[in-house]
Amino acid sequence: MVSVADTEPIARGRFARWFRRSEAAQGYALMSPALLVLIIGIAVPLIILVVMSMWTRDGFGFDMTPTIANYQRAATEPIFGTLLTRSFFVSGLATFFTVLLCYPMAYYVAFHVHRNKMLWIVLMTLPFWTSYLLRVFAWRVILGYEGVINSAFLSVGWIEAPLEFLLYSQTAVIITLAHAWAAFAILPLYVSLEKIDKSLLEAATDLGDGPFKRFMRITLPLSMPGVISACFLIFIPTTGDYITPALLGGPDGVMIGNLIQLQFGPVNNWPMGSALSIVLMAWIAALALVFLFLTRKAKDHLA
Amino acid sequence: MDVIDQLNAVKNGNLSRRAFQKSLLGLGIGMMTTPFTASRAAAQDGQGTLFTWGGYDVPELYTNYEAANGALPDFAVFGGAEDALTRMRSGFVVDVAHPCHTDMVRWVQTGLFQPIDTSRLSNWGDVLPELVALEGNQAEGGRPWMVPFDWGGTSITYRTDLVEIEGEESWDILWDERYAGRIGMLASGGDAWWCAAIKAGVPFDQIATEMAFEKTSAALREQRPLVRVYTDDTTTLGQALSSGEMVAAMTWNSTAVELQYEEIPVRFAQPKEGALTWVCGLMMHKDAPNPDRAYDIIDSMLSAEAGEFKIGSYGNGHSNGKSFEKFTDEELQGLGLSANPRDILDAGQFSIPQEQEWESRMNETYELIKAGF
Amino acid sequence: MKDGTYIQQPNRGLQVYAIVFLIVLYLPVLFIPLFSFNDSIYVRFPMQGFTFNWYVDLWTRDTVWAALKNSLTVGLWVSVISTGLGGVAARAITRYRMPGQSAIITLAMLPLIVPGVIFGVALLVLVSRLGIPLSLYTVGFGHLIICLPFAIATLLPRFEGFDRSMEEASADLGETGWWTFWRVTFPMVAPGIVASLLLTFTISFDEFIMTFFLSGTDTTLPIYIWTQLRFPREFPAVLALSTIILALSFVMVFVALWVGRLGVVSDQVQATIEGN
Repeated sequence: MVSVADTEPIARGRFARWFRRSEAAQGYALMSPALLVLIIGIAVPLIILVVMSMWTRDGFGFDMTPTIANYQRAATEPIFGTLLTRSFFVSGLATFFTVLLCYPMAYYVAFHVHRNKMLWIVLMTLPFWTSYLLRVFAWRVILGYEGVINSAFLSVGWIEAPLEFLLYSQTAVIITLAHAWAAFAILPLYVSLEKIDKSLLEAATDLGDGPFKRFMRITLPLSMPGVISACFLIFIPTTGDYITPALLGGPDGVMIGNLIQLQFGPVNNWPMGSALSIVLMAWIAALALVFLFLTRKAKDHLA
Repeated sequence: MDVIDQLNAVKNGNLSRRAFQKSLLGLGIGMMTTPFTASRAAAQDGQGTLFTWGGYDVPELYTNYEAANGALPDFAVFGGAEDALTRMRSGFVVDVAHPCHTDMVRWVQTGLFQPIDTSRLSNWGDVLPELVALEGNQAEGGRPWMVPFDWGGTSITYRTDLVEIEGEESWDILWDERYAGRIGMLASGGDAWWCAAIKAGVPFDQIATEMAFEKTSAALREQRPLVRVYTDDTTTLGQALSSGEMVAAMTWNSTAVELQYEEIPVRFAQPKEGALTWVCGLMMHKDAPNPDRAYDIIDSMLSAEAGEFKIGSYGNGHSNGKSFEKFTDEELQGLGLSANPRDILDAGQFSIPQEQEWESRMNETYELIKAGF
Repeated sequence: MKDGTYIQQPNRGLQVYAIVFLIVLYLPVLFIPLFSFNDSIYVRFPMQGFTFNWYVDLWTRDTVWAALKNSLTVGLWVSVISTGLGGVAARAITRYRMPGQSAIITLAMLPLIVPGVIFGVALLVLVSRLGIPLSLYTVGFGHLIICLPFAIATLLPRFEGFDRSMEEASADLGETGWWTFWRVTFPMVAPGIVASLLLTFTISFDEFIMTFFLSGTDTTLPIYIWTQLRFPREFPAVLALSTIILALSFVMVFVALWVGRLGVVSDQVQATIEGN
């Protein structure tokens, strides 16, 4: 492989020559604005968060002596564990259904649409240009006591009284989250499926593979990065979501995101809120690693 | 390529995709830059800023301000007094803020506010004195920290056709097992806790005791299985009551008013133990950038015109006694108010401002109970 | 197997699925326009009567239009900047071997793991310590932090699968880096870029939680909508506005695509001539 540096016009000075040879330097230079934003916008606030999680609430201010009391509370009081588990369960189901249901759609657009692909992509994302809040409200209209589903079932005679579990329940939250985050599944799945080299599939056909085999051996493994992206893009933010559970979850649908938000609001315990956030982040990271490990295993197994 | 050429090109099918994308880019950039300059100009104009509850940014409350200053004040909105305090403590500076009386004491303690010079308010003379003389509202020189603006009750709105009342109306309606799964509660502790305390028979002056916490918590835990949803969203409560999904809910006046307007058979209860009364008002930030405009805002909100709008449209009481004059007795009764505001104020129970520690603990306990623990 | 290559066999089942999917996707969203014509402040199923009142009423509410403009402005800026930074980052990561690469990716993805409320508060504290007043700029910065991971996540797979030999061929033929990027790299990653732009704009336009903490007096549309939810009287006006936005988005998109289609043929011809 011919290095680009050798065919470049004369490099000026020794630094320039080192710069051109060092991939790392070039890479970082390229990334520097992004890196700056990341550090100021992410690293610094998170450091503040970690520091604050070791403080204690004291009237309006904070008692700044470092303590792990908040973490101890998070580990021992039952509410935190229950809500964490519930959040992962709800998000997990929502992620699973979303990715499962969006995959065929992304597949269709990537492989079966030959003209106007852009149109399809945009069509799939347009609904998400309405406000999230209003879409949640729309689901309330559908799932509500006098909502679409209940009215329809009542008029047809399938039920005698409106179904109450449809709204203000975990079910409602799962359905709404799945619908609300569909765009975040479709786009990565599509991007990943789109770049699969069609010639690979043609070659497989020529070599005698049936459609199912082709899918399992080529399409699915090659689209795994997209699937993983989609899963992360949906699972992770939804575990911390507090709007949908607040509007549709009812008393039994409270999730960890609500609890964290409340620590910064009426409960006024910022250190506890910070500690809970870090605990949540740690758990998500752990789950993500497990997930990556499993998918890699599956991928190796398939190939 | 200028616009005419482009349109011609489109017509003739000559516009290449690249050229179109270039023009989209130009449009996008144009869009991105103009509004910034526009809003910068507006900011320099220096209208007063009002930090208030959602839904209070309607022009009818600020007609006098608009007449004097040519535009409406700038609004910043909060969802709850705690959120508001959080933001202000983090450095958000406004001219005027709109807390309620239980928040006032704690807000004063933060040192972020200044007393109000009532001599600069033309409508001050008509303000009901009971609303001003709340505990903790006296700064030095007899000036108040908070100028009262609106007041009302937290009580039960219930469907007269679906709920059986034996004897007098009472808070027990919300604890009635016959209506399990059809009861609504407010999510904010600031209302719910106190009402539960009333139900549990806890006198307000003892609300900071352990006994009070135990009794109120017990009452709320007992109620939880009966509650369909805890929310501060009046839309939700109103709709649920109108559809029959809920038969009774803890609400403010406005919900009952709106439902009655829609001709749903509801009543805003006057429970025998007493409803909860609240007063909200205006406080001025100590670093207010536009103090003159701040006084204009406050004065405008105190005017009888604003008051009439408040009473008529929201069903809340107003601090200016003159605002009640335009309404008949029946109208006011239907709203849960009275031509003699003092009657309502006497019959209700004002919550007593507590320390920040108590507030935080109360909220934390209520959140635990709501989540089922 | 039948004639023709794999991808050209239309799959009936899949087609039906796609149509049903779109219907289910749009149905909840279509309730918004439906109830904007409802003659009642309550959103209840069956509709009460048909009226245009809310649209007329909407016209007089200046605050609504201001909020909309703010949302659009912030959204456009944020989507462009985050896609730009994200693309650059994705390219740097895939093209160059950089030590600490996975640490950077992890850092970039952190906003996805942390609930928006946390970032909102943490950034609020940071910004106030630095003495920066709350404004649309702070809101934009907050959005940027959230959108950057999405941009990178969308673009990384695209850059990853990218065939570098094309770039090297172009370099071998003597083209400068910039030209290579623009004419070789860019068209191949363009779908990823478009996806990223769409995704980040959508996120920013609809972002509520962080915005709530970081906004000053200029509100964005989601904040405005949320403030209206407490007072049902205002609610249908909000529905009307959302309907207008939805309709406008449709129109804009179809126009863009229709015009785009006109250019496709000439573009392809151009490309062939240039011997790409």
